[in-house]
Amino acid sequence: MSRPAPFPFRLLERFLPSSTADAVVGDLIERQVTGVRLWRETLVAIWHLRDRAPKEVELMSSFVSDLRLAARLLARAPTFTAAAVLTLGIAIGATAAIFSVANPVLVQPLPYRNADRVMVVWERERDGSRSTVGFATIRDYADRTTTFESTAALGDWQPTVSEGTEPERLQGLRVSSTYFRTLGVQPALGRDFRADEDVPGAQRVVIISHALWQRRFGGDPSIIGKPISIGGTPMPIVGVMPEGFDDVTTPGAQIWRVLGYAVTDPYGCRTCRHLRMIARLKPGVTVERAQSELTKVHKALVVEHPADYGSPDALVAPLQKEVTLPYRPALLALGVAVALMLVIAIANMTNLQLARIVRRGEEFAIRTALGASAPRLARQLLTEAMLIGVLGGLAGLAVAWAAIPALVRQLPPQLPRLGAIHLDLAALGVIGAIVVVLTVVVGLAPRRGRRVSNIADGLRAGRRLTGTPQSAVRAGLVVAELAFALMLLVGAGLLARSVIRLLDVDKGFDASHLLTLEFNAVGPRYATNEDVFAYHDKVRDAVGSLPGVLSVAVVNQLPLGGNIDMYGVEAQDKPESDPTKVPSADRYVVSADYLSTMRIRVVQGRAFTAAEERDTVNRVALVSQALAARLWPGESAIGKRIRLGGSERPFRTVIGVTGNVHHAGLDATQLKQFYVPERQWFFSDDQEMLVVRTQGNPTALAAAVRRTIQQIDPAQPIVKVAAMEEVVAASTAQRRLALTLFTCFALAALLLAVAGIYGVLAGNVAERTREIGLRSALGATPGNILRLVMGQGARLAVVGLAVGLFGAFALTRSLRALLFGVGPNDPVTIAVATGLLLAAALAACLVPAVRAIRVDPSQAFRSD
Amino acid sequence: MLGELEQIVLLAVLRVGDAAYGVPVHDEIVRLAQRDLTLGTVYKTLSRLEEKGFVRSYEGDPTPQRGGRRTRCFAVTNTGRKSLESSLATLRRMAVGLDVGLEPT
Repeated sequence: MSRPAPFPFRLLERFLPSSTADAVVGDLIERQVTGVRLWRETLVAIWHLRDRAPKEVELMSSFVSDLRLAARLLARAPTFTAAAVLTLGIAIGATAAIFSVANPVLVQPLPYRNADRVMVVWERERDGSRSTVGFATIRDYADRTTTFESTAALGDWQPTVSEGTEPERLQGLRVSSTYFRTLGVQPALGRDFRADEDVPGAQRVVIISHALWQRRFGGDPSIIGKPISIGGTPMPIVGVMPEGFDDVTTPGAQIWRVLGYAVTDPYGCRTCRHLRMIARLKPGVTVERAQSELTKVHKALVVEHPADYGSPDALVAPLQKEVTLPYRPALLALGVAVALMLVIAIANMTNLQLARIVRRGEEFAIRTALGASAPRLARQLLTEAMLIGVLGGLAGLAVAWAAIPALVRQLPPQLPRLGAIHLDLAALGVIGAIVVVLTVVVGLAPRRGRRVSNIADGLRAGRRLTGTPQSAVRAGLVVAELAFALMLLVGAGLLARSVIRLLDVDKGFDASHLLTLEFNAVGPRYATNEDVFAYHDKVRDAVGSLPGVLSVAVVNQLPLGGNIDMYGVEAQDKPESDPTKVPSADRYVVSADYLSTMRIRVVQGRAFTAAEERDTVNRVALVSQALAARLWPGESAIGKRIRLGGSERPFRTVIGVTGNVHHAGLDATQLKQFYVPERQWFFSDDQEMLVVRTQGNPTALAAAVRRTIQQIDPAQPIVKVAAMEEVVAASTAQRRLALTLFTCFALAALLLAVAGIYGVLAGNVAERTREIGLRSALGATPGNILRLVMGQGARLAVVGLAVGLFGAFALTRSLRALLFGVGPNDPVTIAVATGLLLAAALAACLVPAVRAIRVDPSQAFRSD
Repeated sequence: MLGELEQIVLLAVLRVGDAAYGVPVHDEIVRLAQRDLTLGTVYKTLSRLEEKGFVRSYEGDPTPQRGGRRTRCFAVTNTGRKSLESSLATLRRMAVGLDVGLEPT
């Protein structure tokens, strides 16, 4: 019977269910049927008895039954299903959430007409940094260039709305009348500013945001022309911006008034560089062309006014790029991190599914025997993958839906387009795309390792001695998971070290037990500087007499509070001919007890006396160590004379040197500062910070302090009430958010990678039970077997970590902007991350290794 | 009521008795019914009878004459036997008084 089976038999075996084929073919052989008779028997048998498996036309009903089977299988393995849906849900949800933030901020065009043509214009300093521009310069840029369709100047403005019961400080802007046209938006109600309103002495008119209109005026449709009281001055409202308009130059801006400058104004000069400039390119003009033209214009201005320009060049850059510049590195790094985690989750899912298929070898063999065709089984696997993918996608949708609002609350409030971040169609599209990719990868991966059609070997495979070819694919996936996990761990480690280093920085003051708040002195009651100072004195005295208050001080700005307020400092004994080389320093205009209240060290000389606070004749100042070292290297600063804020200002005597304070951030390198008593400065500030050193918890006193100030003048708003420690924490918020997210992604990646290596080894040990049994029967010691399994795990781990190290070098480069005090290739961080992952991976290998040692040779052979 | 083919196949299985698989059943049909049925038709009928619960089947042993392939053996169930009896009784009742070769003996 060894000759090849006649063709009719092969046909019967192909088309009949296998047991029927056995019976019929056996009968035919027994009766020795041949020739025409055999063909007749064959065709009739096939006609009557053929396998009734679904045809292609029945694909849909087969899909439904596949789906039903897949659902039954998943329901029967609740642990597997829960783990799969949970990990996929977290990875997909996190990806969708990060995408939802990055898309409107970095990718989507700004919601303005032809937004790609809106540019920001800066003066460019020698070190390449951007600088704001003087009004006269803005005029010349506009008049002498041909590439701009329109230009506008804008300056910060924080008006106090004093009408009604609750006075309120608003974020606003003073802008050229061309501002909204240049941005590419127009008011929804009323009209835009007119050119004749943008001149000195014109009536002050304002345009308000939709939100402010709704909130303060109840959406009154007849609002146009009605006045709004700003610091006691009524200003007519001429327009209301459309709902959803978001001024990305100044996130949170709610009110705009015309600038009304002239070049002849004292604050309209070239060196009065406190304005920003935007410009709209003419159609078809490239940024490069505008840049080269502006460079020429600026260089001509430098030649005409050599004393006025320290900046050698000007810079034109797209508005969207400029406003998102500070957030780009963090968002890109998070995008990379979340993508890595997603890839790990998909790899893990593929691995789990491969493991399941190996275990189900017998099932597939039986189904094949019962007549299921290879494509039919492949479709079944694809359907299972799709079901897992869709469930994971739904879980991801839920995660994203919950995570996005939480994330938005954590994001810095200055982030442009913050209001546009929500779970939108684009995010749904991303989730859908991930589900499709997941389905294809997880569903088709089994075909790579071992062709589904050969799964008929399943029964035999159970008896094989060594691993299946599939284990190569699974090992590859685990290597990739470990590599990506290492990259994320290194990233998280570097961020963690940066934040620890940051919080360790000597801030230069004692933030504990300090309450801070911002209060105002605006309106007709504060016409003169002395009115303002007297009000400050009253506030200080009243708050100082509250129980639990140790001391109170007034200052124009807080360190780490996010303000930039700097003035040039000239030393009398070191005249500087080049105005661009005059150093700038943070301006602190203070009451005498500010230094002691903040516990800022006086390292040389002395602090202000109470008498000096009121003395306007004998002018004095303290300077920080950094400023002293810059002006008088190697000399004592005490007794030296300095001039602050330009040549028209008087010289004053340095009476002391303070320790450096971190003003712009804990990572600040600019530490030059000066301190001046408030009555000795040449103007009074509208907004003032109050710092209160308390005996106990500072926030417990907040309500009492607020009430005390309001009793003095209920018309002045009190804002930004916070403990100084909160102010410090807020200054590191972006880094800490990046750290938190990175750590979450890295830990998820670590767990998945460890689960992956465990799964591969456990599956491998199960497959090799016979081999291991044979080995121990032939004399292998438990130690030999432990080494066998652990060695395999260690090889995977080492390859994964080696690949991951290269990846980590690439990833951390994108993190550079977020690092502080550590290099992107910090050896300690890399060593710790590698060690952690290696230890976790080996621990995961230990479980299957111990299981392998316990294999009983007699059991191993009986298990068939 | 059983069809004629079903009656023939059931009777053939009963006649063969133990280990009634394709070949002997087919032999009985050819010999006594004098019909040249194919094996496929026989198996088709048997599988229909099995679906109705009139026969049951089980796998027999493979033999070298069959190229190592197993037989599929059939046995008539009690239901099958009762159904056959009632079917034949009906025929007999219907034939009473007629000269159609089915008179009771």
